[in-house]
Amino acid sequence: MIEIDDIVVEIAGRHILQGISFTAAPGQLTAVIGPNGSGKSTLMKALCRDYDYAGEIRINGRDIAGLNAVAAASLRAVLPQASTLPFPFTVREVVALGLTAGHPGVPQAALRRLPDEALARVDLAGFGGRFYGELSGGEQQRVQLARVLAQVWLPVLDGAPRYLFLDEPVSSLDIRHQMLIMDVARQFARAGGGVLAILHDLNLAALYADQIVAIRSGRLAGVGAPRDILTDRLIAEVFDCPMRVGRVPAAHIPFVLPQSADGAALPTSKVA
Amino acid sequence: MARPAGDRSGLGKVTIVVLCVLLLVTMAVSMTTGASGASAWTMLRGWFGLAPTSEVQAARDYAVFVNIRLPRMLLGMLIGAGLAVSGLLMQGLFRNPLADPGLVGVSAGAGLGAVGIIVLGTTTLAPLTAFLGIYTLQIASFLGGLVTTFILYRVATRSGHTAVATMLLAGIALGALAGAVTGVLVYVATDSQLRDLTFWGMGSLSGANWTKILTSGPIILVALIAAGFMGKGLNALTLGEATASHLGVPVQRLKHIVIVAVAAATGASVAVSGGIGFVGIVVPHLLRLVIGPDHRYLLPASALLGASFLLMADAVSRVIVAPAELPIGIVTAAVGGPFFLWILLRKRSVFAW
Repeated sequence: MIEIDDIVVEIAGRHILQGISFTAAPGQLTAVIGPNGSGKSTLMKALCRDYDYAGEIRINGRDIAGLNAVAAASLRAVLPQASTLPFPFTVREVVALGLTAGHPGVPQAALRRLPDEALARVDLAGFGGRFYGELSGGEQQRVQLARVLAQVWLPVLDGAPRYLFLDEPVSSLDIRHQMLIMDVARQFARAGGGVLAILHDLNLAALYADQIVAIRSGRLAGVGAPRDILTDRLIAEVFDCPMRVGRVPAAHIPFVLPQSADGAALPTSKVA
Repeated sequence: MARPAGDRSGLGKVTIVVLCVLLLVTMAVSMTTGASGASAWTMLRGWFGLAPTSEVQAARDYAVFVNIRLPRMLLGMLIGAGLAVSGLLMQGLFRNPLADPGLVGVSAGAGLGAVGIIVLGTTTLAPLTAFLGIYTLQIASFLGGLVTTFILYRVATRSGHTAVATMLLAGIALGALAGAVTGVLVYVATDSQLRDLTFWGMGSLSGANWTKILTSGPIILVALIAAGFMGKGLNALTLGEATASHLGVPVQRLKHIVIVAVAAATGASVAVSGGIGFVGIVVPHLLRLVIGPDHRYLLPASALLGASFLLMADAVSRVIVAPAELPIGIVTAAVGGPFFLWILLRKRSVFAW
């Protein structure tokens, strides 16, 4: 369980987050949505202890402020938006960096195969010997996901769930690999781990999230199941843009399109 | 046993063994090369009684080996390893394959300390020289490097986080400042001091003695040993500071250790040997081409190859204009410069700069 309790982040006198509270349960994929500059990434950075914050964040009941780096690394792995490497590492070497803090729960015999298994899971089997710098942006993003998976290879360790924090995990991927990555994240949650992902694509959030957290101007705009959050009123309010949420009759999954898609013009005054 | 594709750890281990052998060979060459003519051949013959050697010649050879060549070899190994590892540490810390202690002003600060003693040691700073005695030059140079690093660190650190870009820029500014003050000192130096400065600045191992080893050696050794434990952390740091900390690396502590180790090794090296360039860039670079950028193998390999490289350069500097000696910095720059350009031209496409 991730418990976020009244988090306030202030940077250079500006309040980026003003009292965010919610919980993210293991076994679930929690999507964080919101417009640019709403504080999604700041929330992620507070969760990763990159930013100082007021309030309290507990993972599995432990205040993360008191954890050392190794203990925190064993609890959660973090996928950044983009990663460049200044030196010519092979893909396998990058994935193996996920094992920097050790490999709790993974037997020594399985350790050698772990990077290759992690690569296979992100559809990059056979890429181990390639140089990271020679891959496309989308492939690099998947290598980083394999590294993150290697860090928390067992979704549950000694009965305690572990977590994946994903900061826009699919932003540079084609549609097939967007689905693949979200499937990997959901499998991790179904196996007992927890996933917290910042997503820009509301339809992906609708399709994959068990819980959606909507943030606007550093404040919580709503927390709940996709069908409760992805409504005309809330989405229009959060993104400051008229929206209409539809439903696919078969699966009853909401989908979201900007209003201009059916002919109505976007209000230009709001865009400026 | 076959290793999975992309796993270069076996290559790293084999390379370290090969470099150990290379170092033993260069040590043997270093011990038996020099202007005195005490070659390996005459030494061995003397020891095994194969050729009649006079008491006088035996005593002279003994003195050459124990008082001149042995300290010179040990000093060369220490400085070569120290410079190569300092370069590697800086490159890892700044996530830039072109970083070097010379770049962030550490060498310039250490140099200022040394030049200050050479120029003012008999006048303005005479009380200090009298107090510190034979250790004056080493201590001043070491302090110069540490003070530069400390200022650098204070300028670049805000609320516990070191901004590497700020540190790089501040280092360039501090290097220029140290260079300017050094320039003033050179301007007021006497003719004989100028000669000392010029030769010191070109770098040399010719003044090696047991005192220098006992003053600089422990400092460099401690820095090398501390660096040896930083491999995993430096690997993670290549992904950036935030990601390294997410991977479980105590990033601030890692940076502190790296900065102090670099200041110590560079300051101690500059004090006893002046400006020996290119070791810190060429050695890690060459090894990265062979075994990849894994610091767990690069650290020991750089220390070994740095030591070998400097011993070879020193051997060349001793024989090329014998019985005189060329400053070793000229040799390392003459070999290192073109070699570096060649690497850049040949392998440019491999690097993700």
